[in-house]
Amino acid sequence: MSDVVLQSIVKRYDAMTAVDHVSLTIGEGELVALLGPSGCGKTTTLRMVGGFIPVTEGRILVGGRDLTHLPPNKRNMGFGFQNYALFPHMTIAENVAFGLEMRKLPKAEIAAKVKTALDRVKLSHLAERLPKQLSGGQQQRVALARALVIEPDVLLLDEPLSNLDAQLRHEMKTEIRTLQQQLGITTIFVTHDQDEALSVADRVVLMRNGRIEQQGSPDDLFGRPASRFAAEFMGVTNLLSGELAGVGRFRLASGEEVRVDPAGLSGELSLAVRPERLVLDGAEEDHNALPAVVELATYRGLVIDYRVATASGLALIARRPSPAVGGPAPLKPGQPVRVSWHPNAGTLVAA
Amino acid sequence: MTSSASSGATAPVATTSPPAPSGREGRRLAPAYGLTAPATIFVLVALMGPLALMFRYSLNRFVPGQMMVEALTLDNYARFFADSFYQEVLGTTLWISALSTLLCLVAGFPVAYFLVRQASDKWKGRLLLLIVLPLLMGNAVRTAAWMVILGDKGLFNAVIGAVGLSPVKLMYTPTAVVIGLVSVLLPFMIVTLQSVIEGIDANLESAAQSLGASHLTVLWRVVLPLALPGILAGTMLCFILSMNAYATPVLIGGPSFHMMAPTVYQQVAKAMNWPFGAALAFVLMAVTLVLTTTANVLVQRRYRRWSE
Repeated sequence: MSDVVLQSIVKRYDAMTAVDHVSLTIGEGELVALLGPSGCGKTTTLRMVGGFIPVTEGRILVGGRDLTHLPPNKRNMGFGFQNYALFPHMTIAENVAFGLEMRKLPKAEIAAKVKTALDRVKLSHLAERLPKQLSGGQQQRVALARALVIEPDVLLLDEPLSNLDAQLRHEMKTEIRTLQQQLGITTIFVTHDQDEALSVADRVVLMRNGRIEQQGSPDDLFGRPASRFAAEFMGVTNLLSGELAGVGRFRLASGEEVRVDPAGLSGELSLAVRPERLVLDGAEEDHNALPAVVELATYRGLVIDYRVATASGLALIARRPSPAVGGPAPLKPGQPVRVSWHPNAGTLVAA
Repeated sequence: MTSSASSGATAPVATTSPPAPSGREGRRLAPAYGLTAPATIFVLVALMGPLALMFRYSLNRFVPGQMMVEALTLDNYARFFADSFYQEVLGTTLWISALSTLLCLVAGFPVAYFLVRQASDKWKGRLLLLIVLPLLMGNAVRTAAWMVILGDKGLFNAVIGAVGLSPVKLMYTPTAVVIGLVSVLLPFMIVTLQSVIEGIDANLESAAQSLGASHLTVLWRVVLPLALPGILAGTMLCFILSMNAYATPVLIGGPSFHMMAPTVYQQVAKAMNWPFGAALAFVLMAVTLVLTTTANVLVQRRYRRWSE
């Protein structure tokens, strides 16, 4: 087990810079999620750590050892691929045994380790099957067993859940996290899904255009996005542009003035308010309150999303529990409401 | 109201209509058979016809002066097995073909692999075109160029003479024939392998590497087994083409070098012995068929398990 240190790594392709001076330390036994939209450089970063893509500039250290220029087969890292990449011509047991054979372990030891590894992911009974005979979730578990059986210093996972359906994704997420904590293995987990990153990681690193946009605990990122991009990516649907109009006051582009939590920011700003924080009736004394009309109601099971608009044209999304889970009676389009929120519920971010 | 009324009216119709019987299935396929008929008939007449005719000829008797006399005899086949000259011709054809095919595989695989894994999309197209470019030129013309290169006073000897080496006898040797054949067949091998390697997920190689495999091990344990269908296809293609090679052995091999196809031609066109020529052609076909089928079965048995 080792920590991973990325020292200002850069990947340039001709004129295009895919990864632009990324510095990151992943502590021993920590699970860090690299999160971001496609093309943000997260997968390139992961593949550089794995040794599949040469680093243009910077260094990669694992446990203090510089392996920037080592080939992948000398790095002792486990790599999980989005499409699992199981060898189709080998049985499950042969797949898992492959890395151990490369390490020239005695046959009996290999057999024992393969059995332990497959037991760990509860697939021993499928040892003699071929990959194509397994479901997607089973294949992913085999891939995980194959990567972990070599006792790697670091586990690298590239979008490991994106080929699975929703139910399996949830199971695998839990399974990956449990295994990772049991083994205490340093892990980098690449994903474009904020939900996945938040629920699996100790620390989330949000990337954009080859740079780190923001990093912190899942709660940091979710609760305190530092930029409009971060807020958008973390699922804040209400981003109201405007400017400061005195201490604790913010003038929206649509004209309304609302109270905000003072932040040490200036210039072009946006006010980020989660739809859950908007109240549609019974405004409290100290709330920002605006008269509005319900435009659209979208039933989503646990919640109902309402699009409401003020007379000035400001559109907001508010979310309330649905009647099915004890929420208030649904509102109808055209119904007038007072949309309100506590000043603390909004976060000012750079626009 | 109208919608519910109409749905009520159509519902019984839908439920009473019986499930499609298998006969209807057959009737629906009839146009398909009709469409494939012209091609099927063409294949039967244009390909199988001459073959059947040649087989019939091979059973006729050759009488000098009369050319071919109708008969039903195996004499022509017996002559092949009695005359060691023709068996040696078959032997030469076999080893020249096997060696040329092997060299094509050894030379073609790295090129195909490079094309798939290293070349950018833009360059892949250009390089592929470059590789098949020689095929746009007639086989005989290309072989003639090799005569210029390999001749006693040819380009090759001129070059090695310039660096102080004594000239090498290449023209009219089996070596020259193999060189010529490889140059003719290599594009077929590369294109066949390229299309199969294209289908191998690059992540498999990365996965093997991350598990500790060197490049050579990745090749041996992952790429080659998965490329086996392509290796088989390319090998069969090259082997069959070189078993039947004509221009190269004639032009580069010279008058005292014998392979099967030129010998068949010589019997039919020079000796006017159609029955024996036909018998030789069928021996060649049978041997090629048996070898390629055996190879196919052996390889199939290895990869069928996971390839389906």
